[in-house]
Amino acid sequence: MMKKFLAVAAAAMMVSSGILMAHTVAKKGMKADLVLMPKFLGILVFDQANQGAQEAHKELQNPGKLEFLGPTPENSVAGQIEILTTATTQGQDGIMISNNAGDQIAPAAKSARDKGMTVVTWDSPIPSAEGEQLFIAQVDFNETGTVMADMALNIMGDAGGDFAVLSASPDAANQNAWIAAMKEALKAPKYSALNLVDVVYGDDQSEKSYNQALALVDKYPKLKLIMAPTTVGIAASAKAMQDEGLCGQVKTSGLGLPAEMVSYTLNDCAPEFALWSFVDLGYLSYYATYLIATGQMEGIPGETFKAGRMGYYTVEKDPTRAEGLRVLMGPFTVYDKSNVEAASK
Amino acid sequence: MSPIQGLRPEKLRELVLLILIALVLIVFSSVIENYLNARLFNRVSASVALMAVLAIGQTMVVLTRNIDLSVGSIVGFTAYFVGHQLSQYGDMHPMLAIFLAVGVGTLMGGINGILVAYCRIPSIIVTLGTMALYRTLLVEYSDAQTVLTVNLPRWLLDLPSLNLISFDRLHLRVLVVGMIVVVVLFQIVLKYTSFGRKLYAIGSNPEAAKMAGFANQRMVLTAFLLCGALAGLTGFMFLARFGNITVVAGIGFELKSVAAVVVGGVNIFGGSGSAFGAFLGAVLIDLLENSLIRWLQISEFWRDALLGLLILISVATDSVIMKRFQLYWARKQARSSPET
Repeated sequence: MMKKFLAVAAAAMMVSSGILMAHTVAKKGMKADLVLMPKFLGILVFDQANQGAQEAHKELQNPGKLEFLGPTPENSVAGQIEILTTATTQGQDGIMISNNAGDQIAPAAKSARDKGMTVVTWDSPIPSAEGEQLFIAQVDFNETGTVMADMALNIMGDAGGDFAVLSASPDAANQNAWIAAMKEALKAPKYSALNLVDVVYGDDQSEKSYNQALALVDKYPKLKLIMAPTTVGIAASAKAMQDEGLCGQVKTSGLGLPAEMVSYTLNDCAPEFALWSFVDLGYLSYYATYLIATGQMEGIPGETFKAGRMGYYTVEKDPTRAEGLRVLMGPFTVYDKSNVEAASK
Repeated sequence: MSPIQGLRPEKLRELVLLILIALVLIVFSSVIENYLNARLFNRVSASVALMAVLAIGQTMVVLTRNIDLSVGSIVGFTAYFVGHQLSQYGDMHPMLAIFLAVGVGTLMGGINGILVAYCRIPSIIVTLGTMALYRTLLVEYSDAQTVLTVNLPRWLLDLPSLNLISFDRLHLRVLVVGMIVVVVLFQIVLKYTSFGRKLYAIGSNPEAAKMAGFANQRMVLTAFLLCGALAGLTGFMFLARFGNITVVAGIGFELKSVAAVVVGGVNIFGGSGSAFGAFLGAVLIDLLENSLIRWLQISEFWRDALLGLLILISVATDSVIMKRFQLYWARKQARSSPET
């Protein structure tokens, strides 16, 4: 009965949106030269995304090439634009970008589109969505806000108190969206005891994040928690609190890698943090890009496709941006003492 | 004769810096609650420990009219390299680990030095190149793995919070003491050894130094070797302090070290400055940074701009005052010793 109802409802929704489409199941062996571009080279999570993309590349038996190209860390913004421009000139069929250049990359993305190249973003989108066909969102950006608010509430308890955010760079599109979403989530009455006092930026560098974390403690004597929605920031903050013997007073939480956080979770400096699978993110991004680049999918709202082992996904309007389309991956895994050791292996 | 006339320009510069540091302390203690306390000392000293060592290396090079922009990459590479070795060979002797860091740094500094001194390529070009080169080497070497604190030996993780002496809540950390030793050592070398005096001579007038028979090229190479060695030492301290090392380690350190050197009164055109001055420059910048973060009224976006502005003002006012004073000092000397 329930099933029937759902099917009817789904059909009604499709009809009402004016599009009735079947699931696209990828035809294997079509040729597309693709490029996967991280924010910069040398960071574990981006390498994991590459693993996922390579897995999908083999699975789909694409006779074309999949290249993992990124700028060096000190040259991230200019380097990304350069690689995108070069890929366009070389006549690559598609590119997957974890954007670190804000809207500055939009002109290069637009000219790539003009040349018929497929431009998909993952991990971090182009904020204005100009030049971008699709964004593969790791998680719902609004849900990130709720997850962070929930972890803060769990750690600080009902008594609540002061907490601060230690982010990456001030112009990182994904972090900014998550912080905005968390501020929105905090308006709910259940979080009324939580008081967000400041947002500071560590530019995804250990030393800056470490110093910023300590400065926060000095600036707000009643601070109970530092929320860092970046893997570099969360590890630096936990280390700073541990080095200064402050873990009893100020906890760290946010988005972190189990391998980097395991010791801090076990000694209670960072009792709880969250993340998603970057391998899956790379895998899903590859599927979507392959389908568009080989003309099997258009990349318009309502389209549904099968991404191999991960199952079915739908292209939709991105509710977290004014413009743009997204494919939502999800979900979060929340790590604590019970599961962090297994995940860190 | 007023006491100020007895001061050499370099001494005056150091005095001005000390006054500026005191001024910063006074101003911020009036606007930030609970500002002047043991914690501030602990924070700033622990953070200056790294930058001061690096700035003194930079001083060596700047004294010879050169610049080393690759120090940030050297810090990053040595931090990662030594961290990686220690994760695999956890029983390595601490002294060997430090030696390894200094050795790798010296090697990288040596490459810069040979290219600058013997191939006669301008140092800004050479080190701009090696900055990218050493960073790329790190990216390749790391294979996108992070050096993780869990894999590092206990003694290294305890090092940053290890106190040599504590007065109540004021801690003198081992790394800070190490930095002080470096400052004193290089102050003495620059001031009292013939090597030090020759460095100044080369920087203030390379032609004259050459005519006087100084081995200019070898001196420049030595300056780069020392700079690399100290950058390697900074890399080791970086590893101890931050634990998790990725490929971004030490990015931006080159500019911070140059800023500390310039604020510290080392002439960017060579020939004058001191290790103590560079140390004071590092302290002033770090103190400003630390204080600005804690100052409630100011947003993140303005903090960097304000810091830049303050550095500019401090250098500009200083150069105006110093020029006047140097002129006055030279005239005074000429008058008091007419026979030379």
